[in-house]
Amino acid sequence: MSMSFAAEILLSTVRMATPILLVALAELYSERAGLVNIGLDGIMTFGALSGFMVCYLTGSPFLGILAGAAGGIAVNMIYAFCTITLCAEQIVYGMAVNIFAPAVAAFVYRIYFGVSSTLAQDTLMKPIAIPYLKDIPFLGDLLFHQTPMVYFAYLMVIFTAVFFNRTKAGLNFKAVGEYPKAAETLGINVIQKKYLASMICGALAGIGGAYLTTCYVNTYSDGIVAGRGFIALSAVIFGRWTSGGVLLACLLFGFCDALQLRLQVLSTSTPYQLFQMIPYAATLVALAVFGIKKAGPKSVGKAYRREER
Amino acid sequence: MKRMLTLFLAVVMALSLAACGSTTTPAASGSASGSAAGSSSGGKTYKVAMVCDSSISDGGWGAACYNAMIDAAKAQGWETAYTDSIAVADYASSIESYCQLGYDMIFLPGNQYSDATVQVAKDYPDVCFAVLNGSESLPTDNITSILPNADEIGYMAGALAGLMTKTNVLGFIGGMELDTTKAKLAGYEKAAKAVNPSISVLSAYAGSFDDTAKGMELATSMISEKADVFFGDASAVDSGARQAIDTKNGSGAIGIYDIGQPADLLGQNPCVICSVVTDNAGMLGLCLQAVEDGSFGNQVIYGSLENGCLSLGKFNDTLVSADVQKAFLGYVDQMKAGTFPG
Repeated sequence: MSMSFAAEILLSTVRMATPILLVALAELYSERAGLVNIGLDGIMTFGALSGFMVCYLTGSPFLGILAGAAGGIAVNMIYAFCTITLCAEQIVYGMAVNIFAPAVAAFVYRIYFGVSSTLAQDTLMKPIAIPYLKDIPFLGDLLFHQTPMVYFAYLMVIFTAVFFNRTKAGLNFKAVGEYPKAAETLGINVIQKKYLASMICGALAGIGGAYLTTCYVNTYSDGIVAGRGFIALSAVIFGRWTSGGVLLACLLFGFCDALQLRLQVLSTSTPYQLFQMIPYAATLVALAVFGIKKAGPKSVGKAYRREER
Repeated sequence: MKRMLTLFLAVVMALSLAACGSTTTPAASGSASGSAAGSSSGGKTYKVAMVCDSSISDGGWGAACYNAMIDAAKAQGWETAYTDSIAVADYASSIESYCQLGYDMIFLPGNQYSDATVQVAKDYPDVCFAVLNGSESLPTDNITSILPNADEIGYMAGALAGLMTKTNVLGFIGGMELDTTKAKLAGYEKAAKAVNPSISVLSAYAGSFDDTAKGMELATSMISEKADVFFGDASAVDSGARQAIDTKNGSGAIGIYDIGQPADLLGQNPCVICSVVTDNAGMLGLCLQAVEDGSFGNQVIYGSLENGCLSLGKFNDTLVSADVQKAFLGYVDQMKAGTFPG
């Protein structure tokens, strides 16, 4: 029993951590270019809806994921235009996206599907086993028999680490978030980089949302994102703005959440609120142990006015 | 120029926020039939509004209550409106804004609105308030409670689950620990144990009515603890649980079952064997009639098996054998007589 219990918790951890991981990477790109985007929940919700609609209509989860990315970019462009071109306050517009995008998604869903006592169901993406690796005992079936989006998320972690630390483009990208004026004097197009960051952020957050409705559950309902965007936001801070750190933070949170759901089932008589605290308590403890020294990009949250001294 | 544009966009955002955050759309079906009924009530078209914290398109509680209002209003020829997905802090102000708009009745689908209702109802003695699952002590001159019997809902699901289980382990997934949810769980467990004393019930709460993925995870872990019949009280979370059950059943024979509520959910998922149906529309219709008659208030409208406001949905005949159906209906008759589960 203990073997299958451990295996199930790990499997559930991977399932629960993946959407948060995708969205946390989205935020990482945004913040590395100096843009705090707290509108992740909104972008995710819109991505979840557009992914679901396209998957429902075409029957193809892959097109759903693409639609989720496109929807995410579209929503995030509102944020990008206001904060980059118009130099508006980033927190305010992030919040506006959080209120605006889920409302639009709810509106579209209701217009199309109406209000019924049953939810429409789409087709889910099938898991694909990776040859050879899946034959590793115990871990093989867990880690290498997943949907392609899970592999995509983990490859993105590696890609992001290499991009930010080993490539010129990545270092330029980071410079924009650290000291944009200096970056501009070296010939880096700051505005263009910020827009690029917003597009990557929108796409990844939209994919994170679409993952929920095309790979995880086969229905869309309002509130399906359930605060995952904010958890991703804290995962970036917790992971010290590095992709490896973000991965660990997401896995920790996913593990604690998977654990608390299982403990609830195993111990019905204990008040469930106690178990629901676990992920948050673990985050607090980890922050206290590893420290919360600010390690983020220096000019994050500040508007960049090109002609200002 | 840029500043103007920023301002303009901010205004647009704020407007869309106000418009979408609280979707106040008069329901087309309700208002269309409004004219027809105007005749029956001497030219006046009555209006009812619903204020709801969950979404009305959640495929569960919100949808069931909204459709109940639409059905009841259609039958009586009332106009309808709704505001959904509102936060706790906005209950009172949303209710009050409908009072100011001249609505005759406000429908509040849940015990959680009781405090806000009492607060607003004092200031608007001419407006009627119907609180679904409101307590028995709640009603005043302009407040009526609608109270479906949560114990009986639990009994029905529990008796059927007790007859259907092969592993003697049942699952129950709640959204939040509301009084009605606790009563349903207690009834479920009591009835199941009355049918078969060796049954144990696993229960857990998702802490949400929207987080479908949590429902899936909870059901998966209950299945690995051998649960094979499920019942839930968590709206969209229940649909996640049903998905997990269907996945586990795979394409082979269906060995893990789900009992639906509050509408008849047979056919939505292959694992649904029967539903416990609450006729909210019927009970709400009594409220609308009382408003028209001027007899509204100081009343608790009970919904039970005896008066037909609680009933059984259709059976899945391939999964529930005729013998089990017969035995189960026997228990239901005993429930009506008040002798089960003792």
